[in-house]
Amino acid sequence: MSGNLERRYRRVLRLLPGWYRQQWEEDMVAAFLDSWLTGDPEADKYITKAAGPSWAEVASVSGLAARLYLGNGADALRRYFAWGQAIRCAVLAVMLVNAVRGLDGLVLTAWSRGVFGWLPAPPASILPGSPGPWPPVVWYLVDYAWIVVFVVLVLRYYRTAQVIAALAIVPDLARLLYGQFTATIPSPTVGPWAFWVLLYLVPVLAMTAFHRDAQPLPRWPWLLALPANYLLVAVPLLALQATGNSAWLPDFSGLYCMLIALACLAHAPRAWSRKSAGSGVWSLTLTLLAADAGAYRIFSTADYLHDPHLITVSLAELLILMAAVALVATDAARAQTSIPAPPPHPHRV
Amino acid sequence: MTGHAFFVLTALADGPRHGYGIVGEVAELSGGRVKLKIGGLYGVLERLAAEGLIEADREEAHDGRLRRYYRLTRDGRRALAEEAELRAATARVVRARLGIAGAEAAG
Repeated sequence: MSGNLERRYRRVLRLLPGWYRQQWEEDMVAAFLDSWLTGDPEADKYITKAAGPSWAEVASVSGLAARLYLGNGADALRRYFAWGQAIRCAVLAVMLVNAVRGLDGLVLTAWSRGVFGWLPAPPASILPGSPGPWPPVVWYLVDYAWIVVFVVLVLRYYRTAQVIAALAIVPDLARLLYGQFTATIPSPTVGPWAFWVLLYLVPVLAMTAFHRDAQPLPRWPWLLALPANYLLVAVPLLALQATGNSAWLPDFSGLYCMLIALACLAHAPRAWSRKSAGSGVWSLTLTLLAADAGAYRIFSTADYLHDPHLITVSLAELLILMAAVALVATDAARAQTSIPAPPPHPHRV
Repeated sequence: MTGHAFFVLTALADGPRHGYGIVGEVAELSGGRVKLKIGGLYGVLERLAAEGLIEADREEAHDGRLRRYYRLTRDGRRALAEEAELRAATARVVRARLGIAGAEAAG
């Protein structure tokens, strides 16, 4: 009687983790069929043949699946909890990179406007341009938006952060499309697209891992990470660029690989000792970030195919990244089964 | 407690119900404002069961399928009463602030 309709719904339920389906699937199918079937054999025969789960129903199952896979505190299996925490940490790390870039852009703009009167004017070569169809104010807003996204995400205003981040990636997409259609971006243009997808789109989509039931991340260490990273990474780079000593610096993709490799090296002793609780989640986080940085390096190298030297440099950066992430990969694999169970979430029910 | 959890517990307050029975009761209780999807309902049921606020009551065969009925636990009844009191108190404060008639009698 309920053949096709039931089959279609069970197909949707495959989105859910196996352990959850084992416990709830039959009940969910019974409730779903109850919601459709009328008791009239003729009508039910037609319904079971023609009907299927609505988009709203599919969305509700997808939402449930996301919550279960990305960890919901006390009752999530450890593997899912570890993945959820690692994805949240990785998203925050990428948002931190974007916020530092935004802060860098705002400081450069302020510098060029003479806000730091005691400094000589910055060289024109390092000033941010206004590429694409947008006026400069849009790019200031985008720079500012990434700082806001990072801060509100850390402060746990998840929905606000998601909305602002979704808006912040639009001007860059428009710039890329504009450049593509008007041929103002020199070809090939794999790198900028790879940047947009891997540092904007994917992290913004992954922000769905931040939800009410998610184990919250500590606020202060992340908030302090913004000025610390700006002072320790962006300011020295800015100083090198301003003094004309940046010729040996890698491009942004290479820099991203090197920073993740350094973070892996710094974390390796902790990952190997396994004495600190939560070490596995960080190893998994760094592995995710290394995958992101590695993919960006690979795609952006496509823009350097004309230059054997740059290809060699790119491959060297990739090898360094792989060697560094290998130091924490074992711990990352262990994290999925051996991290301690998370404490109950205070906001649950 | 989320609005959905509150409605689901309320739907079970006068006796055990199966999944779709809860969906119908919640729609009626909310005057049609809350229409739970099955995925959403079982997300709530799973959380409430994990918190020990509801439990399985029995299973009954219906059209060749097993319907599982759920009921409130003692903790669930207590949590619902506390939440209802909290919401009522909040409503009294809001009504008083808005100067709506009846607020003074309640509060």
